[in-house]
Amino acid sequence: MVAQSPIRFTLPDDLSAHEPPEKRGLTRDGVRLLSTDRREGRLIHGRFDRIADFLLPGDCLVFNASRTLPACLAASVERLEAPSDGFEGRVERAAERYAGSGAGRRLQIRLARRWEDGAWSALALGGGGEPWGGDLSGCRLLFSGGGSARFDLSAETIGRDPLVDRLWKIRFSLEGAQLMDALSGLGNPVRYWYADGPWDLDYYQTVYAREPGSMEMPSAGRAFTWKLLLDLRSQGIDTAFLVLHAGLSSFMDQEYDAGHPASVEPFRLDAPAAARINRAKARGGRIVAVGTTVVRALESIADAEGRVREARGSTCLRITPGYHLKVVDGLLTGFHEPEASHLDLLSAFLAPEKLGRVYDEALKEKYLWHEFGDVNLIL
Amino acid sequence: MRRLEGKYIAITGASKGLGRQLALDFAREGAGGIALVARHADRLYQVREEIRALSPRTRVLALAADLRDTKAVESVSAALLSEFQGRLDVLVNNASTVGPSPMPYLLDYPLEEFRRVLDTNLIAPFLLTRKLLPAMIENGGAVINVTSDAGVTGYSGWGAYGISKFGLEGLSQTWARELEGAGIRVNRVDPGNMDTDMHRAAEPDEDPTQWADPAAVTEVFLFLASDASRGVTGRRFQAQEDWRAVADEALRESAAEAAPEAEPAGREG
Repeated sequence: MVAQSPIRFTLPDDLSAHEPPEKRGLTRDGVRLLSTDRREGRLIHGRFDRIADFLLPGDCLVFNASRTLPACLAASVERLEAPSDGFEGRVERAAERYAGSGAGRRLQIRLARRWEDGAWSALALGGGGEPWGGDLSGCRLLFSGGGSARFDLSAETIGRDPLVDRLWKIRFSLEGAQLMDALSGLGNPVRYWYADGPWDLDYYQTVYAREPGSMEMPSAGRAFTWKLLLDLRSQGIDTAFLVLHAGLSSFMDQEYDAGHPASVEPFRLDAPAAARINRAKARGGRIVAVGTTVVRALESIADAEGRVREARGSTCLRITPGYHLKVVDGLLTGFHEPEASHLDLLSAFLAPEKLGRVYDEALKEKYLWHEFGDVNLIL
Repeated sequence: MRRLEGKYIAITGASKGLGRQLALDFAREGAGGIALVARHADRLYQVREEIRALSPRTRVLALAADLRDTKAVESVSAALLSEFQGRLDVLVNNASTVGPSPMPYLLDYPLEEFRRVLDTNLIAPFLLTRKLLPAMIENGGAVINVTSDAGVTGYSGWGAYGISKFGLEGLSQTWARELEGAGIRVNRVDPGNMDTDMHRAAEPDEDPTQWADPAAVTEVFLFLASDASRGVTGRRFQAQEDWRAVADEALRESAAEAAPEAEPAGREG
């Protein structure tokens, strides 16, 4: 079933952040902050570097410390198995059709998810970034790019992703540190149409990111600087970190995306962070999730009393209007597109009519959308 | 209980000399994981095997990279953080180059060589530390920068090397201040004259037998990497001098700051 967004609006092109704030003459934390009071629905306009004005000693900010992978790779396709149905020609013809005349059989491969057994799911796109519907079964992908011959990386397709049939499961020729090394050399961050870029991977990292694994930046915390984080701590605002590796947010097909609103994402919450969150909650502090990924992870493991525990697993939790939040009290997040499933999640914090007013105000005041844009604090 | 039980550690310049010796000593003290970074893969693999023989339970990562290349800094960081699952307790910025040998006067210094030395000795530690500090923000950690006497005194002929170490001294001090509230301690160690390939290349006419074996200078590094040095930050240690006096003073000051309300000991009346 295709999900219905709780609010409707049209996002004008000029409200997409086309470049990182640092390229717009701002500091990382110089973006705008629209603060929204959950109970009253009152809105306050401000700057992100003044976020402390809205927090109290004893509150606990919970961050997603997953590091962004350069998950976008250029690949050429090589067939492994003998075709029974003229398959090779089909791959070649389709790839050529999408890749343009000069580039040969080239595809853009976007990593979507890493499986426990070391396999990966990947989305195949044509050279222009459009969905590529060809058959990749029994193929080898040869990766190149990065201006270096140092990396010898390939992958074999091992079937379709059982959960998202648009994705292919692949197994790389390298693993562990060697694979990370090769991806760093060959890959680029996933970039959507609104980003002028290409921007270096560093622009797609939060300053506190520590464990590589996200296919796209968990961007809600992008505006934090080390100075701001340390200042908040010195003001008695606690911080805790979990790791949830974010998958691809789009399969480059709006209708298909709407039918797959919540992906399965691996996460981990260590015991010290769980204890910190429980302690803050027990003392009456508010738990503020930095990003929707944090909401999903914490709500997945919270018990009825709103306590969390050390955990390692996957979440496919889909939060929709009317969901009763067990542990999270507030949310810092970016502004989301009209059809995004994130809006469902937001409406667990704010009733759709209040959420509608937030978005009307953000549109009127020309807040910027997407990962390099402004942010919304709902508390 | 060994001093570094379960600690995750990264060492640059780990294929020989002081870096290799630190890796072996850290493994002996129970390190849970050690990432070895250096340019030459073959030598790194040798050190990895030495560690495996010494401490089979220590997880060893050998990462061959020239850290002058900023892309290589990213690769090393991503590989290390991935393998150690975002955990790092200690970073030792040890890799350095002395530049051309024999060492030219500054006026004769080729610009490219000058840049190469600064890139290796100053910019690379800056970038690597910045990429790895997020692993320490939650539970604290230790950064140890290897400096030199030439980083506090200008010696003729020590041109770019000395200047890069002056920079590293400043980097260490500034970072120590900025990270005071984060539980991350940043200290620097001057190991003194050691008999290493690098030193022999820098001063080919000197008698290397007068210089210390790297194995004789690692004790201060073990202290700074261990929890025993908690609270000690922004300090400069000389490995072949009375570094324990500096450590004791730093520990006393740290304890006094942690308990500002306490009555001074021995106060009368």
